Amino acid sequence: MRILIVEDEKRLADILHKGLEEEGYAVDVAYNGEDGLFMAQNEPSDLIVLDIMLPIVDGMIILTTIRKSGVKTPVLLLTARDSVMDKVSGLDSGADDYLTKPFLFEELLARIRALLRRNSEIRTSTIEIADLVLAMDTHEVRRQGSLIPLSAREYALLEFLALHKNKVQSRTELTEHLYDYHFDLDSNVIDVFINRLRNKIDSDFEQKLIVTVRGAGYMLKD
Amino acid sequence: MTNSIKAKIVLFYMAVLFSVLSAFGVLLYFSLVKIIYNAIDSDLMSRSKALATLVQDNDDESEFNFSDDVMWEYHSQKSKSFFQIRLSDGAILEKSESVGTLELPYTPQKVPVTFQPLLFKGEKTRMINFRISREKDGPEKNHILIIQCAEDISDSLRLLKSYRIILSVAGLIIMLISSSGGFLIARKGLQPVKDISRAISRISESNLSERIVMTHIPAELKSLAIAFNHTFDSLEKSFNRQKQFVSDVSHELRTPLAVILSQSEITLRKQRSAAEYQEVLAGIFEASQLMSHMVQKLLTLARLGADKVELRFEPVDLNEVISDALRILKPLALQRAIAIELPDIRPGACMVSGDRAALLEVFMNLIDNAIKYNVTSGKIAIAFRREQGAVTTDITDTGVGIPENDLDRVCDRFYRVDKSRSKKIDGIGLGLSICDDIVKLHGGSISIRSQLGKGSTVSVRLAAAQHVENSDLNEKGQDHGNTSVQRISGGRSGGRT
Repeated sequence: MRILIVEDEKRLADILHKGLEEEGYAVDVAYNGEDGLFMAQNEPSDLIVLDIMLPIVDGMIILTTIRKSGVKTPVLLLTARDSVMDKVSGLDSGADDYLTKPFLFEELLARIRALLRRNSEIRTSTIEIADLVLAMDTHEVRRQGSLIPLSAREYALLEFLALHKNKVQSRTELTEHLYDYHFDLDSNVIDVFINRLRNKIDSDFEQKLIVTVRGAGYMLKD
Repeated sequence: MTNSIKAKIVLFYMAVLFSVLSAFGVLLYFSLVKIIYNAIDSDLMSRSKALATLVQDNDDESEFNFSDDVMWEYHSQKSKSFFQIRLSDGAILEKSESVGTLELPYTPQKVPVTFQPLLFKGEKTRMINFRISREKDGPEKNHILIIQCAEDISDSLRLLKSYRIILSVAGLIIMLISSSGGFLIARKGLQPVKDISRAISRISESNLSERIVMTHIPAELKSLAIAFNHTFDSLEKSFNRQKQFVSDVSHELRTPLAVILSQSEITLRKQRSAAEYQEVLAGIFEASQLMSHMVQKLLTLARLGADKVELRFEPVDLNEVISDALRILKPLALQRAIAIELPDIRPGACMVSGDRAALLEVFMNLIDNAIKYNVTSGKIAIAFRREQGAVTTDITDTGVGIPENDLDRVCDRFYRVDKSRSKKIDGIGLGLSICDDIVKLHGGSISIRSQLGKGSTVSVRLAAAQHVENSDLNEKGQDHGNTSVQRISGGRSGGRT
C-alpha cells in the first residue's frame, strides 16, 4: 500500500514517513502544496495524508482539485484546525477522514487501515483466504494456525494481494502500490518478493494460494 | 411599580385626566345650576309681574278678585307655587290658597326686586319680593305693595342632585376606561424599548454578530439602538480577536506537540540505534524549545493584555537602548551580512519617558524582524525624529516588504504574512504584537509603511521625556554591559558604538 504524505512541518512529515514505512507502507512525502498536488494527481497512491495549511497551494485546494479531476484516492486530513466548521468543510470537500494534531500514531494507523479497507470487500482487520489468516492490525500471518514470520515488505505485498483477492494484479500495479516514486519501476523486485512469499506461505502446504497468471501478473486465490 | 416608567406615565396621565374631567364636570354642573335658577327666577319674575298687572288694574283697595284662570295654579293646598301680597309695612293683603295658614316670611328692603331662598313647608323654596306702587292714588305709604311669589324648587334640586351623581359616575367610568387606555398607550409606547431589550438579550456569546434591527425603532430610540449596536460591534470585534487568539494559540502549539508525540511514539515502537535516539531527542528538544519560547511570549502577551506589567517610567535614552539591542543582535546581522546604520547623535538627544527593559524588548524585536525579513547583504537604517514632545524612531529595512492588505494586520497575534508558516524564517508571529502592546502601554504608537520587494519602515512614536537635558550626562561610561538593570533616576550615558 502506498501512502502520500503532504505536510509542511518537515520533522512531522519525516517521522511519519519513517513510522509508516516501518509498518510496511510505501511512502511519498511532499513538503509543500505544489508538490503535493502534482504527486496526488500523478502518482498512484492508495491513500493521501493531507495537511490543510500548506505553502504555495492550500490543502483544501489540493483536495478540491484532485476530486474535480476524478482522483478517488481516500484522503485523510491531518491538521491542527479542530473546529467543527473546519471538519465539516474538509469532509464535505471530499476528504474521507479527519484527524487533528496532536494525534497518536496508533490512531493514525488504525484510521489508515480503515480507509484502505474501504475499497476492498474486506470489512474487518482480519483477512481469511482458505486457511491463511492475515491480522492487519498486528501484521501477523498464520496458515493453519501456525505463525509465519514475514518482513514488512513481504507482508505489504501479501496484504495488497489479499485485499484484492481473486483479482489479478500486474507487476506494475504491485510495484506502484508497494514502492514510493524513488523506486525503479522496471526492476523485477516483485518477482523476487513473490518467490520469497511462495517459499514461506505455499511451499509447505498442499493448496497453493499464490497464482501466477502468465503475461498478466499475480493473484491470491482461495 | 413606583420605579416603573409605565406606572409613572399612567399615573401622570390619570392625574391630568382627573383634573380636566373634574374641571369640566364642575363647569357643567354649575352652568346647569345657573340655568335652572335663571329659569326659576324668570318664572317667578313673570308671575309676579302678572300679579302686579292684576293688582294695578284693580281699583279696590283690599279685595283682589283674581279670576280663576289666573289663580288655578295657586289654588290647591298641594300646589308648589305660592304668592302673597303685602303692604310695605308687612301687612298681608292677599295670599294664595297654597300658602294656607302659614305665611311667606318678609324682611323689608329698599330694592325693587330681591330673590331669596327659604325653607317653606319643609321644602326648599325660592321666593321673589317684587315691589310695586299703585299709581292711581297719591304717593302714600300704603300704596307700596310687595308681591311675593315663591316656588318649591325641591324637584329641580333633586334633578341637580341626580345630575351630580350622573356626572361623577360618568367621570369615574371615563377615568376607568381611560386608565386602561393609558395603560395600553404606555405599553405601546414602551414596546420598542421592550423590543430592544429583547433583541439585546437574544444577542449572546454564540451569536454576537446579531444586531438590533433598526427598521421598526422609533426616532427617539434610534440613538439608543445605535449606541447598543456600536457597543456590540466592538464587543464582537474583541471577542472574535480573543477567539482567534485562542484558536491560534492552540493551532501553533498543536504542531510542535504533534511532532513531539509522533517522534516519541514511533521511535518507541521498536528498538533503535543510539544515533536514531539521539536524532529523535534532538527533534523533540527543538520542538519543545519552540513551544517553550511560544509559551513565554504568550505569557508576556497575556500579562500585557491584563495590564499586569508594571512599567517603571523613567527618562530613557533611545539611542542607548538601540545600541544595546544592536549589540545583542550583532551576530545575527553578521550572519546575514546586513549593515546597520545608526545616526551619530549626542547622548541624551533622544530621551523618552518609558520602561527601559520593555523598550529594549520592543527594539530588539523590531530590529530582529528587520534582519530576519531582509535580503542577504541588505541594509537597516535607524533614524530619530523629534516632533511636538515626541520622539519617533524609524527602522527602515531593505527586506521583502509587506503586502498592502496585510499591513494593518501584522500587529495581530500569530499573524504572519506568509500564511503557510514558512519555516524558512523562524518566528511565531507574536513579536510585533508584543511590541505594539508595549508601545501602546507607553501611550505611543507603531506605524508601518512598506513597499513590496523594496522594504519596510517601522516607526515607533514615544512621548519625549521632560527636563532631561541636565540630568543625563553625569554617569558617563558606567554600566555599559548590563542591559537589563533598570535605573530609578537619571539617564545613562550613551556613546557606545
